[in-house]
Amino acid sequence: MSERSSSNSCTTKKDLRFINFKHLNGPNRWTYYPTTEATVDIGELEDFPSDKIPGFYERLSAWLPSLIEHRCSYEEHGGFLRRVKEGTWPCHILEHVTLELQNLAGMKGGFGRARETSTRGVYHVAVSAWHAEIAKTAMHFARELILAAMNFEQLSSPSYDTAGAISKIRDMVDSLWLGPSTACIVEAAMARNIPTIRLLSKGNLVQLGYGNKCHHIWTAETDRTPAIAESISRDKDLTKTLLQSCGVPVPEGKIVSNAEEAWEAAEDIGLPVVIKPCDGNHGRGVFIELSKREEIESAYQIALSEGSEVLVEKYIAGTEHRLLVVGGKLVAATRGDSVSIIGDGHSTISELIELQINSDPRRGNTEDHPLNLIRLDSAAKMEITHQGYDSNSVIPSGVEVLIQRNGNHAFDVTDEVHPSTASIASLAARIIGLDIAGIDLVAKDIARPLNEQGGAIVEVNAGPSLLMHIKPAVGTPRPVGQAIVENLFPNNDNGRIPIVGVSGSYGKTAVSYLIAKLLILSGKRTGLASSNGLYLDYRQIDKNDNANWVAANRTLMNPIVETAVFENSFDAILNEGLAYDRCQVGVITNIDANCHIGRNDIETVQQVFTVLRTQIDVVTSTAAVLDDVKKNISLPTGAAILNAKDEMAIEIAEICDGEVIFFSSEAKSPVIAHHCTNGTGPTHNKRAVILRKNTIILTTGTHELPLIKVSEISSQSSSKPNTHEIENILAAIAATWALGLEINLIRRGIETFGLNQQKFKPENQDLSINVHPQGIYL
Amino acid sequence: MKVLKIRALRGPNLWSQHTSIEATVFCDDSENKINSLDGFETRLRERFPEIPLLQTAGHHDSITLAHVLELTTLTLQTQIGCPITFSRTANTPELNTYRVIVEYTEEKVGRLAFEVALQLCTAAIEDTPFNLTDALSHLRDLYEDIRLGPSTGSIVNAAITRNIPVRRLTNGSLVQFGWGSKQRRIQASESDKTNAVAESIVQDKELTKRLLHAAGIPVPLGKEIDNANDAWLAACEIGAPVVVKPQDSNQGKGVTVNLTTQEQVESAFAIAAEFSSNVLVERYIPGNDYRMLVVGNKMVAAARRNPPQVIGDGIHTIQQLVEKINLDPLRGNGHATSLTKIRLDEISVSHLAAQGLTIESIPAKGIRIVLRNNANLSTGGTATDVTDDVHPELAARVIAAAKVVGLDICGVDVVCDNVMYPLEQQGGGIIELNAAPGLRMHLQPSYGKARHVGETIIDYMFDKNDDARIPIVAITGTNGKTTTARLIGNLFERNNQRAGVACTDGVFVNGQCIDTGDCSGPKSARNILFHPDVDAAVLETARGGMLREGLGFDRCNVAIVTNIGMGDHLGMAYVNTAEELAAVKRIIVQNVASSGYAVLNAADPLVVDMAEHCPGSVIFFARDNLHHPVLATHHAQHKRVIYLQGQHIVASGENGEHKIALKNIPLTQDGSIYFQIENAMAAIGAAWALGFDWKVIREGLSSFISDSQTAPGRFNLFNYRNATLIADYGHNPDAIQALVSAIDNIPSKKRSVVISAAGDRRDEDIRLQTRIIGDAFDKVVLYQDQCQRGRADGEVISLLREGLGNASRTRKVSEIVGEAIAIDTALSNLEDGELCLILVDQVEQSLGQINHRIALG
Repeated sequence: MSERSSSNSCTTKKDLRFINFKHLNGPNRWTYYPTTEATVDIGELEDFPSDKIPGFYERLSAWLPSLIEHRCSYEEHGGFLRRVKEGTWPCHILEHVTLELQNLAGMKGGFGRARETSTRGVYHVAVSAWHAEIAKTAMHFARELILAAMNFEQLSSPSYDTAGAISKIRDMVDSLWLGPSTACIVEAAMARNIPTIRLLSKGNLVQLGYGNKCHHIWTAETDRTPAIAESISRDKDLTKTLLQSCGVPVPEGKIVSNAEEAWEAAEDIGLPVVIKPCDGNHGRGVFIELSKREEIESAYQIALSEGSEVLVEKYIAGTEHRLLVVGGKLVAATRGDSVSIIGDGHSTISELIELQINSDPRRGNTEDHPLNLIRLDSAAKMEITHQGYDSNSVIPSGVEVLIQRNGNHAFDVTDEVHPSTASIASLAARIIGLDIAGIDLVAKDIARPLNEQGGAIVEVNAGPSLLMHIKPAVGTPRPVGQAIVENLFPNNDNGRIPIVGVSGSYGKTAVSYLIAKLLILSGKRTGLASSNGLYLDYRQIDKNDNANWVAANRTLMNPIVETAVFENSFDAILNEGLAYDRCQVGVITNIDANCHIGRNDIETVQQVFTVLRTQIDVVTSTAAVLDDVKKNISLPTGAAILNAKDEMAIEIAEICDGEVIFFSSEAKSPVIAHHCTNGTGPTHNKRAVILRKNTIILTTGTHELPLIKVSEISSQSSSKPNTHEIENILAAIAATWALGLEINLIRRGIETFGLNQQKFKPENQDLSINVHPQGIYL
Repeated sequence: MKVLKIRALRGPNLWSQHTSIEATVFCDDSENKINSLDGFETRLRERFPEIPLLQTAGHHDSITLAHVLELTTLTLQTQIGCPITFSRTANTPELNTYRVIVEYTEEKVGRLAFEVALQLCTAAIEDTPFNLTDALSHLRDLYEDIRLGPSTGSIVNAAITRNIPVRRLTNGSLVQFGWGSKQRRIQASESDKTNAVAESIVQDKELTKRLLHAAGIPVPLGKEIDNANDAWLAACEIGAPVVVKPQDSNQGKGVTVNLTTQEQVESAFAIAAEFSSNVLVERYIPGNDYRMLVVGNKMVAAARRNPPQVIGDGIHTIQQLVEKINLDPLRGNGHATSLTKIRLDEISVSHLAAQGLTIESIPAKGIRIVLRNNANLSTGGTATDVTDDVHPELAARVIAAAKVVGLDICGVDVVCDNVMYPLEQQGGGIIELNAAPGLRMHLQPSYGKARHVGETIIDYMFDKNDDARIPIVAITGTNGKTTTARLIGNLFERNNQRAGVACTDGVFVNGQCIDTGDCSGPKSARNILFHPDVDAAVLETARGGMLREGLGFDRCNVAIVTNIGMGDHLGMAYVNTAEELAAVKRIIVQNVASSGYAVLNAADPLVVDMAEHCPGSVIFFARDNLHHPVLATHHAQHKRVIYLQGQHIVASGENGEHKIALKNIPLTQDGSIYFQIENAMAAIGAAWALGFDWKVIREGLSSFISDSQTAPGRFNLFNYRNATLIADYGHNPDAIQALVSAIDNIPSKKRSVVISAAGDRRDEDIRLQTRIIGDAFDKVVLYQDQCQRGRADGEVISLLREGLGNASRTRKVSEIVGEAIAIDTALSNLEDGELCLILVDQVEQSLGQINHRIALG
């Protein structure tokens, strides 16, 4: 995920030069969330803190005034700008400007760090990066902006097109990031502690939850939206027929196949009528309240071009409303409104539209604008023709001209909907079969029952836009994302599967393997990504080194996987981040700082700590994972499995939000003694797995349970097991104990597999895994 | 011959359980005996040789032209393959008028066949030419066009075999199985559990492969390219041979495989680019094409698909060889036959060109020429069933693939050398997943065993013993239907079942009125059975609908016949006698499920006679004691009876007896309203038949209130000043008789009545109503109502007058035009202690008027 900067080598001396970019997809040494980490060489600028550059503070705060919101280390409004005024280094500014540009372009995220490396003038700048390319682009623009503000070229009037930069980033956000409807569901999921994985680099397909607990959404459609229901809703005539047979009020209508028939049908049904395409979209080609033959015939032609068949429908007097039904409940409702202009005696209709309507800042063409720009499209033209004007007509002062009916569903009316109407809307969604339905309803007053005012449902939409409910121009935004997530994940289910992350300096592969074996024994479909390959149960899917982000991500995307074990090498955490945001069990087998120092700019023990603690930081803190795995695994809280002999492990134990279980091959270790007496971590639990007199013992601090004698563990090798091998077994036992596996099952598994770790020694790596005689479960 | 009327009977009907065309025809005297039409039969046979014997052996009486029409309509349909057998011609009471009834499977085909038959007969009579071939192909085309395709058809047939109700919702392949809250849907081979997101995922083949790859399923990973040069570069990177295809290829259009040279790759790009702007290059997996079908968690069928090919004979050109193959009658033009004709289109031509051949080439004897790489049946390929050969590991990958994208019913395209080995072992892969997969290759493989995948899909959708039916109670009779229907609705609700009640008062679902007006026909019944919130249906089933269209359901659990009495609506639609009316109303009894019950009024001989037509069991009820002979006999056989014992209704059957006091049934007004006792008995019978707990039945009876709110026009009692008003919708002699006997239990100083009659009733029935009135009321207000239903002005009133001719009690008669004025007049002249019976026609308006008067005091 790193990339050499393409900027040329002969740089000007006073420059911010990107040496490389690294995208960290998940929890990492900086933070819990996706981060982009740039290595930046500031060269001579090392000697130019911001207070030493004349006019810099003024220009920066003028070009990007919203930086005033950044509190920075002063923890106060304007804190960051104060730092700039007092003098701070370019990379710190780069961090803040990047974040601000991203925020202004519509990407959330406020995490940033700038840290020196051991090379003078070279920094790591880490910023929140929900999308790698967007963050990188924002960083490039931030660099340009800062350099322009520094104005070393001594321009008389230095300037920077901040708006232009933001709009370019925004374009990227629009094309690469989630649309607003999807984003609102994803955010609601995250608020519920449900993990999410985006499945398309461009597009709105998102997985909520992991493995077999996952659901898919694609904009406002879910894997509970029947394809049949969607296709019924696209056929407006069929939809109406079905609704009508259940007593849902719908306008009388007829499918016609030529303009003449359209007029005949209109006369049969009774004027005025509505003309629309049978299977059109987004109100295109819909004409309302037509009474004249010419109008009806020309509307027919336009409607025909928008769909395959044309429907003539009775005109229902009233305003169009959109009711959103999720899981049988009405969760939001908006009212559409007509758009009119008022003549001033000298402007044309076209001019008045720009002056009186499109000048509203809420109007725009992006999805973030609550109101659309008004164009004189065919429907609007017909509307004004109807009133005897054309686009160049000058409208007398004070005369109102209707431009568009039901133009914007911008007015929230959720609380006003009459209960009987809400239940009719719910019934309509149920008849069609939709879990999420946008119901178009025409009524004069939504607070009164439909039948007493002759209101009717005119359409039922699958995959409705949620924007009008999230950002109504007037009224309260409605938590529609929450409702959709609640419908997919009822009863506080958070879509998580038990995950074990294994890190450390040695023995990760063997420990992951043993844990996976024991989980398979417990009957769970288990995914294992380790340096020995990628596995689903006993089957090796890939034989290459899979102790990386991609492999773990693959496993979490697999809807067959019920539980997963991931080996995370030090380098993978450092360079890619973790593939999961939370795990039930985090294991650190052991820590040998010398293994890691000297590579990847890691120079101190403290840095080793920062990287490895990532594995323990993500351990589930509270009862977030419900007792969801009924038979063999039940875990109220997460657990860290740490080696009592590692000094650093003891330090890491302090930061763990869940339980800590120590393991030790030395029963008399003072750490174990302290742990078993006083407990460790927020839960003060005292569990440990120790080796005493060649017997592996589970202890709770007060009770001890001898699990197995080392001599009882079958081994294919004749030599005596070494301490590493024993410790691997202890770690695996501790992890599965933490997962709540039955003790007998753990014992039997260890007895069979415990010491067969030789295949993970480098010289035996080619040995393939035997396929279990039972084969693959389905 | 004159056709007077054509109807489609869309459910069980007077003639049979089959959907049928019913035509009423008039034959003139010569047509009444075809023997009198010289040479007619010969001319008919010339034009339609397949027509069966017109006269069975041993019969000498001449048959009518109506019979010929019947046989012709039937035979035309069987000729084009409609699976039908039933037809009949029935006499009507009118001279030379017949009804011709012919079964159909598709209404439009049935109607067209009747029309064609008519033309054929006319041509034979007039000795004019008739083009049979054209007519048959016209019929066949229509049939092919509207019948279900083979995939949907196989699922629908499986449902029918499992006794699951089936209803097509469109002319296409959208089908509803089951009723009410138990309904499910399919569209072609998609179930209602097939989700829209999964369907979208599989439309993106690259995304699909990425997801499958993530789950460790072998796939040929590919690269998206946008020009011919990049295509070649990608091919070099992936390693030849490669496949080039449009991203959203449909039925293999634009796909070229096994490419190794730059030239091949570039020209393949050009072909693919015609179908999509997104073109893919991917690893070519050599081997055969297989299609595997996953349903639920099982791989249920697998077929090897071979591309269309010809084998040279050293004589014929490729084109001629193809034409020869296409002569095979198994090869048709669409999906209907097991094989499709081979087409030599552009793709074939270019495929031949790649082999250095043209369609004019003459391959040497024994040389096999493949005409395209695509093996789809729709382009002339063949399918060989290999279901039993698939290695379990391979099947496991196929099942996992469907699961990964989330498709419950999924067609998985696999390429490998041999399905007998795991994919990984032979470098095979899954190349595509399909939502709504075609089933034809499994149902009718060109070679090998057919797989009954329609049944598999039905078994996946419905548990073993689930027929997706909800309980149906059908109610018919002359009087009491509506009250009984609503009372049963109340019993269902007490039983925690959401009831859908269709009756003359409207349609009610879970107590909510969703339709108004007379809803006792088949359309309302179908609407109830479609409603997703209905757990049980109570369907008042009126005579009119049964005659017009047949029943709106195929079978019911309970059929109630309240009474026939003297009958109502006699003289309409060739139903002239109470016996004939009984034959119509009997239809619901004839269509009781074998596990169901008919609940029949033992006091009405015509109703008692229906018992022997019931395929299920019978519960007899009567407002009488156990000495009633019908009840006594039935009871002696340990069968279920409901009778009156003092002030109790007693239900006695195989498991002892249950007593319910009349005072606990408010509907009966402590037992004073006799006909309500009968209605309560019928409802008890239905609940008993459905196995309700007796506690629920008691609660349901005691909580049912019948007043002008809940049962408008059903014996609504009012107190006005010091008089008693009763409003009722009674409109036939039986109803009047029942009302009179109910009134006998209500003390009054004087009795008056406001009455009219519907003009479409027979003269004698109208007279009979006032004849009953005349012996029971002191004052009579006759009015002429809004709609005279075909009668001249004043005609109804004078018939009513005639009925009063020998009145023993009536002293004062007045005549008024307009219901409202009549009611006003009666109410204005009330005396203290008077009882006034108002027979309302415009129920809602008149009740409103009465309530208004009462409110004014």
